Amino acid sequence: MDLHGWLMALAHSPLGHAMQTSRWGFAVVEMVHLLGLAILGGSVLIVDLRLLGVILKGESAITISRDLSRVLLVSLSVMVLSGIALLSEEAGKCYYSPAFRWKMVLLAAAAVFYFTLHRQAILRTRRGTVTFWPRIAAVVSLLLWLGVGVAGRAIGLL
Amino acid sequence: MKVRFALMFAFWIATFVVPAYAHHSFAAEFDINKPVRLTGKVTRVEWTNPHTYFYIDAVDADGKLTNWAIEGPSPGALSRRSWGKDDLKVGDTVVVEGYRAKNGSNTANGRRVTLPDGRRLYGGSPGDGGPGDDGTDQGNLPATSTNK
Amino acid sequence: MPLLHQFCETLYQSGFGTMLRESNNAFSVIESVHVLAITLLFGTIAVLDLRMLGVILRQISVSSVARGVLPLTWSGLAVSVVSGFLLFWAEAEKMYANPSFRAKLVLLALAAINALVFHRTIYRSAHEWERQHMSPWRARATAIASLALWSGVIIAGRAIAYF
Repeated sequence: MDLHGWLMALAHSPLGHAMQTSRWGFAVVEMVHLLGLAILGGSVLIVDLRLLGVILKGESAITISRDLSRVLLVSLSVMVLSGIALLSEEAGKCYYSPAFRWKMVLLAAAAVFYFTLHRQAILRTRRGTVTFWPRIAAVVSLLLWLGVGVAGRAIGLL
Repeated sequence: MKVRFALMFAFWIATFVVPAYAHHSFAAEFDINKPVRLTGKVTRVEWTNPHTYFYIDAVDADGKLTNWAIEGPSPGALSRRSWGKDDLKVGDTVVVEGYRAKNGSNTANGRRVTLPDGRRLYGGSPGDGGPGDDGTDQGNLPATSTNK
Repeated sequence: MPLLHQFCETLYQSGFGTMLRESNNAFSVIESVHVLAITLLFGTIAVLDLRMLGVILRQISVSSVARGVLPLTWSGLAVSVVSGFLLFWAEAEKMYANPSFRAKLVLLALAAINALVFHRTIYRSAHEWERQHMSPWRARATAIASLALWSGVIIAGRAIAYF
């Protein structure tokens, strides 16, 4: 099934009908999405600023990242689930929205990057020192996640 | 986990805060089963963020003159659809095609507005599910019940 | 008319406020900055709150986490307040009567008081308990209040649009 078919199926699903007919469903789900965004962004910021040597330089980046990865995974799950619910109400509009497409591309890139190169860069760090590749990984990560956020805002503004 | 606790607490609070009036998506706010076609004089224009509004005195189905609020997206979004701030002038007679608000008030979305000089302006988004939406910029508005 | 209402009306009708309110892009950009700043403000303080609740970063002392996180939280607050004030300037007349906006300010004040009380009391003795995995009950109460109040600020902020 192509993207359009999948989105239309989502729109016609029980979730889609519930979201479209509910008077306040969209609003509540959007608020959950927003809170998830704050938590996700915070965990990304702290890990990447540690990699850049801006904060918590005396602490192990591996320790910090291990715990904040759990926070990131939980908040990312909340965002994906709430995001699918939002999508079920606005499937058509999102399909045609360049901002939405950019957001999905950047999200995929950010997530893949996070679980591969970013993770490897963290494992190369040592307490108290800041090396080259972790710095690059941090900057790329921050830019990708920022891009996801900005693209998400643009969906409603274009 | 405490993150989940905080989020659920906030979720719970939200159900009390949000009144029975959903917002920010066509399907949530406007009723696809209540198309309107209004012809009337513009009485007021609010060219404001986050939503633009203009008001027209239109004659409804009972022959009564009522004031309708027509909602549109932000000035930025309208300018990207080639609307200008001065396109709507108080006193002009315009035709508004759109859909009535779900809460039954005299509010409609300005999906298509026809100006006195015949120019048609489009206030929706491709794919938003509004009337005649076929994913193109203007869509094809089906014949709607006429409120003269 | 009450002085506060007069103040709101003056801001609303000013040239600057009107320009922002009718702008093609400025308002949207400032609003976007305001929204994304919640990551810098709430996202970071949440990490400190979760540390005191013993959920994460247990091997790191509370004051170390605070030292790392609080400068970010303060930056987030600064960005939020500046962008928020500009948004308020553009919409001041409408915000005066908006119950969600008023609720947001009340919750914001409570969040600030919560932080102030924490720093003046239980945090003073941090050296005694900061290495514990779970902090004393007063610190944990502060953390839960912080999470709830800041969530409330964000929710009330979003709900402004519905009134």
